[in-house]
Amino acid sequence: MIEIKSITFARGNHEIYSAFSSHLDMGESVLLTGPNGSGKSTLIQLMGGLLKPHSGSIEIDGSNIDSLTSKEQALVRSIAPQRRSFTLAFTVDQIMNFLPRKARIDDNSYLMEQLGIQKIRNKKVTELSIGQQERVSLALALTQRANYYLLDEPFSAQDSESTAKIMELITELKKEKGILVISHNQDAISKQFDRVISLA
Amino acid sequence: MKKFSIYVSGFALLLFLFWLSLDIGILQLHSSIFSLIGKHGLDATTVWQVRFPRALGAVIIGAGLGVAGAIAQGIFRNPLAEPTLIGLSSGATLGTIALIASGASIYGTRANIASAVLSAAITALLVQWVAPGKGFGFLLTGIAISAILTSIAGLLISISPKPGIQSITFWDFGSLALLNNSTVGMIAPYLEVGIIICFLISRRLDIYSLGESSSHYMGVNPARLRLIAIMGLAFLIGASVSAVGSIAFIGLLVPHIVRLLIGPAHRKMLSLSALIGAIVLLLADFLARTLIQPNEIPLGLLTSLLGAPALIILLRVKRASWVSLD
Repeated sequence: MIEIKSITFARGNHEIYSAFSSHLDMGESVLLTGPNGSGKSTLIQLMGGLLKPHSGSIEIDGSNIDSLTSKEQALVRSIAPQRRSFTLAFTVDQIMNFLPRKARIDDNSYLMEQLGIQKIRNKKVTELSIGQQERVSLALALTQRANYYLLDEPFSAQDSESTAKIMELITELKKEKGILVISHNQDAISKQFDRVISLA
Repeated sequence: MKKFSIYVSGFALLLFLFWLSLDIGILQLHSSIFSLIGKHGLDATTVWQVRFPRALGAVIIGAGLGVAGAIAQGIFRNPLAEPTLIGLSSGATLGTIALIASGASIYGTRANIASAVLSAAITALLVQWVAPGKGFGFLLTGIAISAILTSIAGLLISISPKPGIQSITFWDFGSLALLNNSTVGMIAPYLEVGIIICFLISRRLDIYSLGESSSHYMGVNPARLRLIAIMGLAFLIGASVSAVGSIAFIGLLVPHIVRLLIGPAHRKMLSLSALIGAIVLLLADFLARTLIQPNEIPLGLLTSLLGAPALIILLRVKRASWVSLD
């Protein structure tokens, strides 16, 4: 379980979290929604160990994330950030093999098929559309072998068909893993999650 | 198959240039190079004591500069990050000159190489610490700190009475003229260590290219990776600068050529950057010492003269472009 224990976090004078607690269990899918600036992405950065809460703590399977190295964190949780900078002309296939063999799932063909990137696997990522790049970024996070997957706005550049395919994937994945999805546009998809957390 | 033929042609060109470097010079040889193996006399001394260490030095230093360029562009996520631009070379130069000027050492000693390596590392860390960001702010900081260190080095050269300190031209434009078997033997282990360090982090640089937060999320600690890369760069640039001064453009140009030929995967890039770096420096040095015999053209002038137009042509080719500078 990822457990957020009474965290406080502020950017300058703007307090984003005050004694905020929550959790993500294995076998559940959670949707985190809220207006712009409510701290959705900040929460992912806190849960990803990129930012430190001013008080309180975040634990993954009983270990405080502050005590875990980048490598140890990556073994238990995977994150698809809202934006990745694809600056170099790697092919999609090369990107899917970035992680060491031990750190990635054995077979990514279903994943790539479902995300519609199987056919563009030999194309350069820099030549893809924003929507395709977003799906490559999502696929990369989902190939990482982990217990928890934190996905920041995975539908922002997707049409309804792609969104449905991604939701199928999430529903399949949550049978064994814990999934947290951030989305500002929750109306169409919220019913497909086990829980919805709304940030004010 | 394409990659295989690139490597085979590269090695063939390198061997040809190596043979040319041994065979041609001010002194015309009276017999073939192969017949001079194990022989004594003027021809043999010229080939094995003068031309051979110079050609071998060009190969290992060129390889080091090529690798350093690829690593610098990868770790600073900037297509313009080149060891001479980001302060590493000027740091190494000042480290070398300061030691000679203080009388603690002379050119071509182990102490000198170690001082250059250390100064290069400190300068790279300083640039990184002072710079406001990773893009243009980082480059401009590197250029500014480089200018300060180069000026101090120039000042030290002007006021130092030590005869072995060499000229500003030597340090700023580079020259392989002073290389001998002993100097090459001394810098080789440093270059080897630098290249090994760079190869060890090459796969992680692919992940790092996605950004610092992505890198952390995928299990690669960005701060630690940068520190290791800077160590590798310091070994490569420190060792080469301490022996031949600062040679511009090779570290900037070679990775762009390599990316165009085989793509951006860092591990593959490093091998080919080493090969092409060696070819470019061997060719540049051969031209520098033969074009206006018996005089020599300062090496850096030639690498800039050939490298800058080549870079402009490369940047005009769409595939060589780097998407953004963030």
